[in-house]
Amino acid sequence: MSTQSFFSSKEEGLQSLSPVVSARNLWKSFPGVEALKDVSLDVFPGEIHAILGENGAGKSTLLKILYGIYVPDRGDLFFEGRKAVITSPQDAVKNGLVLVSQVPQLIDTLTIAENLSLSLRQFGYVSSVKKVSKFLLEKGKEYGVKIDPDIEVWKLSYTQKQLVEVLRALLLNAKVIAFDEATTLLPHAEKEKLYAFMRLFKSKGGTVLLVTHKIPEAMEVSDRITVLRRGEIVGTVKTSETTIDQVRHMMFGERLSQLNSGRYEKLSREGSETLVVEDLWIRSDYGAYAVRGVSFSVSRGEILGIAGVTGNGQLELIQTLAGLRRAEKGKIRLRIDGSEINITNKGSTLIRRLGIGYIPDEPVKKGISLDNTIEENIVVHPQLSRLLINWNKVKNLTSDLVREFNIVTPSTSSRAKVLSGGNLMKVLVARELTVSKLALVAYNPTRGLDEVSARYVRKLIVSKAINEGMCAVIASEDLDEIMEISDVIAVMNSGSIVGVFRSGVSREEIEKVMVG
Amino acid sequence: MRLIVVKRVKTSSLHFIGIPVLSILIGLVISTLIFASIGVPPDLFIKEIISGFQSPQTLRYFALLTILGVALMMSFRASIWNIGAEGQMIWGMLAGGYVALFVAARSMYVSPSELPSYASMPGVEVLDASPVKPVISILLMDPTLGKLLMVLFGMLAGGLWALIPALLKAYLDIDEVATTLILNYVAYQLFNHLVSYNLRGLSVQARQFFRTDRMNSALLFNLIPGTSVTVQEAVMAVIFFVAIVLIYRYTTIGLRLKIIGSNPQLLRSVGVDERKYILLAMFLSGMLAGAAGVSISANPGIGKLEKIANVVSPPTMNLGYTAILVSWLSMLDIKLVPIYAYVVASLFQGSSLLQSEINTLLPELSLTGAALTYVPIGSILIVYVVLRVFADYSIRVRR
Repeated sequence: MSTQSFFSSKEEGLQSLSPVVSARNLWKSFPGVEALKDVSLDVFPGEIHAILGENGAGKSTLLKILYGIYVPDRGDLFFEGRKAVITSPQDAVKNGLVLVSQVPQLIDTLTIAENLSLSLRQFGYVSSVKKVSKFLLEKGKEYGVKIDPDIEVWKLSYTQKQLVEVLRALLLNAKVIAFDEATTLLPHAEKEKLYAFMRLFKSKGGTVLLVTHKIPEAMEVSDRITVLRRGEIVGTVKTSETTIDQVRHMMFGERLSQLNSGRYEKLSREGSETLVVEDLWIRSDYGAYAVRGVSFSVSRGEILGIAGVTGNGQLELIQTLAGLRRAEKGKIRLRIDGSEINITNKGSTLIRRLGIGYIPDEPVKKGISLDNTIEENIVVHPQLSRLLINWNKVKNLTSDLVREFNIVTPSTSSRAKVLSGGNLMKVLVARELTVSKLALVAYNPTRGLDEVSARYVRKLIVSKAINEGMCAVIASEDLDEIMEISDVIAVMNSGSIVGVFRSGVSREEIEKVMVG
Repeated sequence: MRLIVVKRVKTSSLHFIGIPVLSILIGLVISTLIFASIGVPPDLFIKEIISGFQSPQTLRYFALLTILGVALMMSFRASIWNIGAEGQMIWGMLAGGYVALFVAARSMYVSPSELPSYASMPGVEVLDASPVKPVISILLMDPTLGKLLMVLFGMLAGGLWALIPALLKAYLDIDEVATTLILNYVAYQLFNHLVSYNLRGLSVQARQFFRTDRMNSALLFNLIPGTSVTVQEAVMAVIFFVAIVLIYRYTTIGLRLKIIGSNPQLLRSVGVDERKYILLAMFLSGMLAGAAGVSISANPGIGKLEKIANVVSPPTMNLGYTAILVSWLSMLDIKLVPIYAYVVASLFQGSSLLQSEINTLLPELSLTGAALTYVPIGSILIVYVVLRVFADYSIRVRR
């Protein structure tokens, strides 16, 4: 299939309308990276337009240019046919484009109405908290969102905060609402709510710009899809006239071949027990027991997947296994070559020295330092360097990892902040897999990665388990991921393991236990 | 048409050299104007600043500010705002002074009749030839070893003093800006107490004087001829600078000290106790400040510890605060520390030259030393901060 054919599918009807947002020949480079190369885009009124691309394809850069966070090196922007110079979010908002980001930008101690009246002021409109409250109730009714404008933001769940951001966009009179991977962190049922909102907004004449790396999401909700690859537009297609395979091909090109296999080949492994957990009780940050008497054991080369609805104790369990949270009761033991070590509450330093890798939740915040180079982010691990650092060795190790994990970076000595989110995640996973001699404990190990990279990471975990006998405890909010890589699946609900399944179980059975 | 600010893809090396030079020139022009407006003739000001850059006396401040600049750079890079170099220097002076006065040598009373025979012994120095109660100082060990011990104990004391705010920060999350600053004044007061009572010299007869004996001259540092800088402090500046550069470049300790400043959570997540590195950063910082303290009091021009009459002019000469400017001007890049240590040292020296000129030529102006020092330093810093923006951003015109 040639890329040329994608261009021909632009619809006749849309062309007669004038685009609400239009970008012409945008170029943008960062130190060592050409992030956008001659990108042009037309978004028409009344459509849900998905911008799809893998990690580092330039989606975020494009969106940040439209929203005035970055200024392009070359190229022009047009809003409703008028040429516009957008150098700040204020400019974008005045032209009718509002961004809903992945991380809600709200002040915790203020109420929803107070927050929103602040952001109005920020954009140069003045409005009283009272007026904003009234508006929120009206709009909430109109869009079927139940919301109490006088509740403090810290009491809201993540999804609710996301909705507040959406309401903010309505308050700012947005003609175009842009979502920047806004659904990445949402559970499935909550995503549906957001999709419903998008459709409703569209039916009222609004336009949605949806930036995502998830093909199914783009297929489900959008009218048209524009695919970016390595900073260039591959093409724009009408969603109803395309297939997942065609979009995949556009997105990944020659790398598509890496996506084909279904389940992994598993050997039946009757290894000796490596990690034994007995009657573990752990408190959450708020003092209540988040984990209540969990016991399990993981054998050499075995992968234990922990499934469950977010917030049922998985995070606390993983943190305790990594030595970063105290266990109130119970024992964690490691068996190495016949001898047994009790690692309960022994501190992360010892645990990491013994050869346990750890992929934390909020990986970029906790597991990467943006101001340091990639090499420094790798060698910081106590297992990878003694007192003296041999930089030649580090350079070689880093370039091996960059090649192996296909990390898009100008060089191994670039600062981490020039990398895209997905590539940062790859740096972290690469480091942790390198040090996981005995075991890997992980929380959402592929969050934020595109399909090919996510699959690649899973494949590496599995092959490390098969070839080197590493065992793993992996908690994930993505049930498909758990089902794909686990030998044994344990389902957690309210801090206890409520079901244990060998692989081959159906999705429905697991879901039943998760919520039951 | 609009002006927009765009982040540069790469900082050019031209900016790297040009911006500091330009800020020094513009800053000096601004301070000339400020001084001219209050009646200091521009030619006098410029003449004294230029001679500050050439004066051999500048070398002493240069060495001390290099040591202190490196010390503060280490803690600042770890995002620990150590404003307490003053107090750490004071403890360096106290510990170094204690070793000089009570360990490596000691003073004692002798009977007036025995004084001549003592005075002829090697290692003995007459501190007070009073006919009633003469005082001598006897050297108790090899003076080189003595000097080494003075430095080591001074560093240890400075480091331990710095550990107080570090422990409070690491384990109780108490802000170090406040604690380090407050502890400076605690250190001044403790210094006064110790110097007035516990360490008070035998040779200090008059009731109104509070100071130690003079240190045995064999234990004083050795001046480089023609300057006021000592061999020891110059050597220390070089050793510390090179050692810290090497630590940052080739050791995991240096790497972690850097990372703790940018993302301490990363250290925690890879299994490194970040609190220990907070302690280490402050301990190292305090050690170097302590060494600077020792070299001030062991300078032959001083050679004793004396009660601070006014906290505005402590024996540290406020270099612990001045060094904050050195590390900021070098933007926490250790390689630039010596360059800015030299610039600030020259301004420091130039200002004191200017002060003595003004006091004789224009006594009616009654300008204090601090005003004279900080007008040029402050002006340069402000211009530097403004110009530095152009190294990272460019301004373009859009239509």
